[in-house]
Amino acid sequence: MVRFRRGAVIAATAAAASLVLAACGGSGGGSSEGGGEEGGTLTILSSAEQLLTLDPQVVYTGEDLAFLGATIQRSLTAYQVAPGDAEGTTLVPDMATDTGTPSEDATSWSFTLRDGITWEDGSPVTCADVAYGTSRQFDTGLAEGGPVYAVTYLDIPTNEDGSSQYLGPVDGTGQELFDSAVTCSEDNKTITFNLNQPVPDFNYTVTLGFSPVPAGMTTGEEYANKPMSNGPYKIQEYTKGPGGKLVLVRNENWSKDSDPYRLALPDSWVVNFGIEETVGEQRVMQSSGEDATAMVQSLTTASLPVVFEDAQYEGRRIDAFDAYTIYAALNTEKLPDEKVRQAIGAALDREALMLNAGGTYAGDYADGAVKPNIGIDYAPTGLWETLLGAEVPPTGDPELAKKLLSEAGVSNLEVTLDYGQTEDNDKAAAIWVESLARAGITVKPNPIERGQYYGVVFENPNEIMLGGWGPDWPNASTVLPPLFVQGWNLSRVNDEAFAAKVKEASQEVDREKQATMWHELSKEAAQKMWIVPTRFGRDQRLAGTKVGPIFSWAAYGSYPYPIMYATQ
Amino acid sequence: MGGEAVSSVDVSAPEPGVDVEAAEREIAGRSLTQIAWSRLRRDRTFIISSIVLIVILLLALLAPLITSLLGVDPYSLDKEAIDEAGGKPVGPWGGASVEHPLGVEWGTGRDILARLLYGLRVSLLIAFSATVLVVVLGTLFGIISGYSRGWVDGFLGRFMDLILAFPFLLIIIALSGSLTQRLTDLGIPEGNASRITYLILVLGIFGWPYLARIVRGEVLSLREREFVESAVSLGASTPRILFREILPNLWAPILVYATLLLPVYVAVEAVLSFLGVGVLPPEPSFGAMLADSVQYFTLIPSYLFIPGTLLVIVVVAFNLLGDSVRDALDPKAAHR
Repeated sequence: MVRFRRGAVIAATAAAASLVLAACGGSGGGSSEGGGEEGGTLTILSSAEQLLTLDPQVVYTGEDLAFLGATIQRSLTAYQVAPGDAEGTTLVPDMATDTGTPSEDATSWSFTLRDGITWEDGSPVTCADVAYGTSRQFDTGLAEGGPVYAVTYLDIPTNEDGSSQYLGPVDGTGQELFDSAVTCSEDNKTITFNLNQPVPDFNYTVTLGFSPVPAGMTTGEEYANKPMSNGPYKIQEYTKGPGGKLVLVRNENWSKDSDPYRLALPDSWVVNFGIEETVGEQRVMQSSGEDATAMVQSLTTASLPVVFEDAQYEGRRIDAFDAYTIYAALNTEKLPDEKVRQAIGAALDREALMLNAGGTYAGDYADGAVKPNIGIDYAPTGLWETLLGAEVPPTGDPELAKKLLSEAGVSNLEVTLDYGQTEDNDKAAAIWVESLARAGITVKPNPIERGQYYGVVFENPNEIMLGGWGPDWPNASTVLPPLFVQGWNLSRVNDEAFAAKVKEASQEVDREKQATMWHELSKEAAQKMWIVPTRFGRDQRLAGTKVGPIFSWAAYGSYPYPIMYATQ
Repeated sequence: MGGEAVSSVDVSAPEPGVDVEAAEREIAGRSLTQIAWSRLRRDRTFIISSIVLIVILLLALLAPLITSLLGVDPYSLDKEAIDEAGGKPVGPWGGASVEHPLGVEWGTGRDILARLLYGLRVSLLIAFSATVLVVVLGTLFGIISGYSRGWVDGFLGRFMDLILAFPFLLIIIALSGSLTQRLTDLGIPEGNASRITYLILVLGIFGWPYLARIVRGEVLSLREREFVESAVSLGASTPRILFREILPNLWAPILVYATLLLPVYVAVEAVLSFLGVGVLPPEPSFGAMLADSVQYFTLIPSYLFIPGTLLVIVVVAFNLLGDSVRDALDPKAAHR
């Protein structure tokens, strides 16, 4: 869920309706019995030229995790597929018989595989396959851009520079270290992960990058093009580029008995690549012929008023919070003074930014890095009400900003704003220039080619960088540590006291107590203004008239792929 | 039929004999410039395109005055003019109203008219400067190449081939970041000053060989003419021959080339800013306006048509002007 699908591009988004909270009864397995029809083909019209990757160890964007997880890649645990924030993020077993068994201090976790899980060639999926898949996270060449929680958490010694002494299954260096950290039972059914610290939510961690890969197959980067399926579908065709498509057909070796999680209703899935966004949404709006079972994963700003003001699209449009908090990271190495950072936050016209992103379709004003739809880890920080010493309206308060700057003894502040170049971000940059000018701060926009954006800003950051972050699973441990300690620390925060408190909270076994600790830390981070949180993002999408069910799956902010169907 | 015949047709006098004589005398006494000018004054295309261009130039030069008279400016956000849901301009035609005659931008409410006029300034500044650079470089190297012949000509010729072979649009885009930074390091103010300088320099540097080839061809034939030979035999210095004897005879092709090149650069500037290698926000430009219009034009066609139409008018007017000037300066051209 972490990264934006299109680099730094912040998809502009839609309407005033709050989360779809129909109390639809998802059964314990996540897949409800509810009224879907079997058969047919569901089609996704994608403007991308390919899926970023099909490699189970590299896939990291919410939409792809949800889609591939529903079709070809099973994991030990998964999220219940149901409407609602809490229901849609409830952990349920997938390949495992339950959601995992921790040791008393949560430094080791065991999962037992169900009977009858097989690969598409009919051979059984074993504990060794899960261990092998996990070990691929250590392959640095392969896993670049993918989740690396195995590297972070498994009890494997590190070198002085912090890199792991295990270099992955292809290189093989340090294999014995990995084999003692991840062990299999005699019957090859139960896998045990030995961790280097207490990780109370490790059973959530295993949804990311811990999917099995056939052990013994030499699987480097080329595996991304034709991975072995263990889900209800398998790859029949995968061609990239405009006109290309990914075709998934039924995997005859998948047994329903081994998989209570997926309904697997349609006979096939097709992803069509390289379809202009505007063309794709027009086709789904028309919804004629085969397009009645098609869907798009985003809508352009211009079509939002059309889709959401016309009753004919009711029942097939989705407007929900996505996973992302949109913010501007303030580089603490170049802006070390807290008051200066607060002045920037106070001067900013967040209302104009919101309007530019799509107004009420774009989301809600953010008050911190942690977003409300994460669940119990969110509490209002009071950032714009009290933390800056006065209430700051969404239009910003230039006078307060000037006061903060003079308290800091700074005048004629000049800052550079890095952003991934799109037309919308160019306009956002103009808003930054205009609104900070009111407080006497000069902003110099620095547009960066969007495919290179994060590479450039991590290498060579200026004072302000636009960005966005979504949690990897519903715990602030996947928000505050990566943003302000290590991982996605654009702000280059180096605050040892804060880092120590974060570590303590990460390892807290009592979930309620942990949530309270996160509330405090989120508030501290907001007050220190390491980032200026501007928006809790929303996301809009539209499906054809014969696609169901239509709701946003809170775990990934995506379609509820595992239970979707095409009506005849 | 030559020019004389045309002028005699134009003269509808009761006593033809006298008038033809008078006309011949008059023609005999006129310089090339005078002839060209008299032709241009009778060319309706020239007059109309000139008027259009003068109006456009005035609009660009007086943009700050015009916008302040209208009470608009290209930078300030107008949240009243856009809808809270979606940021869509309130009202038809992109929110066109008394306050915003051509409507406002989606999402920010900035005034389209003001942005158009300021975008025009940037466009014309870049196009004019790049053209001047091309004329200076092209004329200089063209004369040197054509007059010197020998190895200098050979070397310059291959050098021009080399430059012409470069895929220059690609290079402009690929190198914009690093070279703009280099200009900043050289002391040109950071931001738009550097970016505009970069565009002018690159357009100029990749554009001069075309003109240089034309000039070289002219010089090759001019240097064999009697007036040059007599200057040489009188012992005139090479610079004098180049710049006092040959150069004045080159103005016609240079002027024609420049008027045809200018509209090309206006369009190229729009293309480059469309591709993101233009001025920085919040500064407006044609290309950026067109790029932004793409996602909205099914709902608000004026976003595409307003800058598009102005761009077309500028380019067509310059092209027609260039054609007229070429016809007027070309002694061999057939006149209507």
